[in-house]
Amino acid sequence: MRKTQGVSRGEPFAFSVDGDAIQAYPGETIAAAMLAAEATGFRRDRSGRARGLFCNMGVCSECLVHVREGDVSRRLRACLVPAEPGMTVETGLGE
Amino acid sequence: MSSSLSGASPDYDLAVIGAGPAGQAACLSLNGALRIAVIDEQARPGGQILRQPPRAFSVADWMTGRAYRGLKARLAAFEALSNVDFMGGRSVLGLREAGGAWTLTLSGPSGVEEVSARRVLIAGGCYDLAVPIPGWTLPGVMSAGGTQAFIKSQQLVPGKRLAFAGSHPLQLLVAEQALEAGGEVAVVAFIQPFSTLVWRAITRPWAALTHGAVLLSALGSAWRLFRAGVPLRFGRPALSVEGQGRVSALRLGQTERFECDAAALCFGFMPQADLPRAAGLQVTPARPGGWKTNHDEWMRASRRGAYVAGETTGVKGAEAASAEGALAGLAVALDEGLIDQDEARRRARPWRKAREAAMWFSALLEAVADPGPFSARLPDADTIICRCEDVVLADLQAALARCDEVGSVKLATRCGMGACQGRNCEHSLLSLAGEPHSERSAFTARFPARPVRIGDLAAR
Ligand SMILES: Cc1cc2nc3c(=O)[nH]c(=O)nc-3n(C[C@H](O)[C@H](O)[C@H](O)COP(=O)(O)OP(=O)(O)OC[C@H]3O[C@@H](n4cnc5c(N)ncnc54)[C@H](O)[C@@H]3O)c2cc1C
Ligand code: FES
Repeated sequence: MRKTQGVSRGEPFAFSVDGDAIQAYPGETIAAAMLAAEATGFRRDRSGRARGLFCNMGVCSECLVHVREGDVSRRLRACLVPAEPGMTVETGLGE
Repeated sequence: MSSSLSGASPDYDLAVIGAGPAGQAACLSLNGALRIAVIDEQARPGGQILRQPPRAFSVADWMTGRAYRGLKARLAAFEALSNVDFMGGRSVLGLREAGGAWTLTLSGPSGVEEVSARRVLIAGGCYDLAVPIPGWTLPGVMSAGGTQAFIKSQQLVPGKRLAFAGSHPLQLLVAEQALEAGGEVAVVAFIQPFSTLVWRAITRPWAALTHGAVLLSALGSAWRLFRAGVPLRFGRPALSVEGQGRVSALRLGQTERFECDAAALCFGFMPQADLPRAAGLQVTPARPGGWKTNHDEWMRASRRGAYVAGETTGVKGAEAASAEGALAGLAVALDEGLIDQDEARRRARPWRKAREAAMWFSALLEAVADPGPFSARLPDADTIICRCEDVVLADLQAALARCDEVGSVKLATRCGMGACQGRNCEHSLLSLAGEPHSERSAFTARFPARPVRIGDLAAR
């Protein structure tokens, strides 16, 4: 739930998470935009169960998502990386 | 940023890892001397206590409490330093020393890069101690520190109705911040009885007196939460989280159940130790867990040209972190020959005093908040302990019964082999083995300290 009182943000934009359009504001991390949209699963464990993020400060790696750029897909920590217009994010399997 | 070839002169005089109060204070006490690179994985400087909102946000009344005034003034002064290159959004993966220079490997938006410096200060701070409870891997369960960082920095309450549980009084402050930011708080539950919390505080009257303000602010939060109708519970060690695919309730024992869509766990903090350990610096077991890096009275670590400051040397609050940072900065000035012994001693005096005073308080908090190994009770046999590799309690117990050494459990179970490098599970494993504060570590710190794509490393 975004705090709105006393906070002004820039113009929102959309990026994609598992094919769904999610709204983000400039400067928001991928994690913040996903949580604001109630998307709480960031990866799946070996048994296919959804996992959420834990530390929100870069140390636990529970928020690793796949960010696709052209042919290259990187597993990045959603709690550190800002969302960008048109970005393609996939949750799901490990390597 | 140029990279260093062997033989070429280093890019910087000093590299500082971490732009929290400790890293900032070191740069400030160098008075504009030296070329300094400050690296932080956060986009903006501030560290955990002052996690700044994104530049594109404008936030009225950001962190206006009195306790933050001095820290905010120092942050502003740091951001104005012209001899410092702030390299945000970059993670330090590892560091190595050769021929009198340290080379740091970083990953960031433009891939993997290297930075070299004649001296390095590690001021990486601390992180939430992970204490496994049943259901803690359900999406929606996170650390209280992480919850607070969402509120402070991203201006987001990570749920509609939050339940807090743990052993550390910080959860009272975070719960109040969540409430102020428009969230609902379902409950704040402590595993210790109220009498234990109070008893541990009053048996350290000196600390309680000198840091009355901080204690009062925790008590004040408790009072305001109570007034707002938030249930406060004490002496509830049997914590568990319920939900299908995501958290739906926090359960306290058999009888009490609080519905929520997010749960925040708060068991205290551990020093960041992966970089010091990988660099071969000497460390000592910390409480409640993890490793603090050893140093001399000038914050010099056990290898030449390496310094440490702030919570990397033990968790003791922002004021002590600032003081240690300032001491480390003076030590660099001394070792560089910029100032003499007398000047260094004289300028160090107020910082040493501030550090001493803060240490009392940290001892108090440590005693009050110590959850004990596994909060004195084990979770269910099928509770995941190693979150990265899905290793459950029963697997670890079986492996511990078979293996002579804690170190062999890693190979037998994959516990600690995942992307977090054991930061979440090493303490749990050592606790299970009955040696939560032994000198022996369970795992060896390896490169890279943060996840990175192999292709990006190879492209270097
Ligand atoms: C989540 C959290 C919340 C806290 N909230 C409070 C509070 O409300 N009140 C209070 O008094 N104390 C709080 N503390 C304690 C507080 O962090 C310290 O008192 C103070 O911020 C410590 O300063 P520091 O400079 O040692 O470290 P920090 O402020 O933690 O700064 C360390 C910096 O190093 C960076 N870093 C670490 N490793 C790497 C790496 N490998 N690569 C790149 N960068 C790296 C981090 O991103 C961080 O910005 C909190 C701690 C945590 C972990
Ligand atoms: S949530 Fe822990 S690394 Fe992002």
